[in-house]
Amino acid sequence: MNEGIGSNSTRIKRDTKLISISSVDLNTKANYQDFQRFQVIDVPMAGDAEATLPALIEAVKQAGPNKSAIEKRGETARKAYAEGNERTRAAAALGWDASPISTARMCMELYGAIKDLDWSLVASEGNVSNWPNRLWPMEKHYHWLGASGGYGVGYGAPASVGAALANRDLGRFSVSIQSDGDLMYAPGVLWTAAKHKIPLLAVMHNNRGYHQEVMHVQRLSNFRNRVANLGGDMGPVGTSIQNPDVEYHKLAESMGWWAKGPIKDPAQLGPALREAVKVVQGGQPALLNVWTQPR
Amino acid sequence: MNVILSAAKNLLFATGLLFAPLVLAAGSAEKGKVAYVQHGCWQCHGFVGQGSVTGPKLAPNPIPPEAFSAFVRFTNGAMPPYQKSILSDGDLADIHAYLQSLPKAPDYKSIPLLNP
Repeated sequence: MNEGIGSNSTRIKRDTKLISISSVDLNTKANYQDFQRFQVIDVPMAGDAEATLPALIEAVKQAGPNKSAIEKRGETARKAYAEGNERTRAAAALGWDASPISTARMCMELYGAIKDLDWSLVASEGNVSNWPNRLWPMEKHYHWLGASGGYGVGYGAPASVGAALANRDLGRFSVSIQSDGDLMYAPGVLWTAAKHKIPLLAVMHNNRGYHQEVMHVQRLSNFRNRVANLGGDMGPVGTSIQNPDVEYHKLAESMGWWAKGPIKDPAQLGPALREAVKVVQGGQPALLNVWTQPR
Repeated sequence: MNVILSAAKNLLFATGLLFAPLVLAAGSAEKGKVAYVQHGCWQCHGFVGQGSVTGPKLAPNPIPPEAFSAFVRFTNGAMPPYQKSILSDGDLADIHAYLQSLPKAPDYKSIPLLNP
């Protein structure tokens, strides 16, 4: 576990044999492809984990496991999960009525609007504190399609259009949490979605900044006894997307989308989402430009 | 007796010196809201101190001003320390006052969207 400041510690009991069954081993294309630290594995097996699971379960059953110990561990895990879930909900309530809109409020208003549909969260690249993964019930494989895989910036918009194209033929409702910085990389994909009638609800996580590097800039400024914010924007130099504020709803409209915004009042978000859902169900992509908290 | 009293006075003085740099005068919540944005606290902790994956919650009920000051000045973790030349004691006190002024969050059990 890396604390973010260079230390490492293990959570694995000493002398435990660690076996890995994963197709990640097959991703490596070059000796420079893998990054960061490696997990020390005793027996690495390159293979499909999902396909392996039934055989693994049978092998565990035949080994005659200690059922009461397993049940006790299960009970402890369920209790820990329930307690953690309560803490997460309490954390989501913080800043609930704030403006700009909290990421928790945005994500839960969104879920409220789509929960009765066969929904698929096709992209969420901007770090909304993982609220969908923490609070939405991710019970089907297409509920969450994952991230870029390499912290790719600009992945979200084109990936969501591609996934929405696939979902269209399967009758699924595609929704993306679209970051403003991400959309600045390839905004032309909005036209592609409208041209090919790809229904997609893009709810913007518009924190008016690329934002990811702000703490690095702040840290270096502090170390060098320099002020990070020169006063023009709310963030450190070169990290904000404001002054002028980009009107993404107008950008989307110009490319054939239905769009609304900027939405800064959380009370307006629910009605706007319900309206947008109806538009997408009619076959047109829709974008809501929502002003949010940074993370 | 005089020796004991003298020692007690010296101890109190030394303790005062030890904590003096960390004691913040009462600040202004209104100025603190401006300073909170200007000094970048919102970037990780959110505009109302609600916290996020990048920084813990600061409000409501922020830690006491002395602990707050000590942490901001001397932290050596993921958050960078802010020296007085960057963030004055006055601004720090104002920021603390702003955090103290923030209202309590609603009980999540009262929010239908958080209890599907």
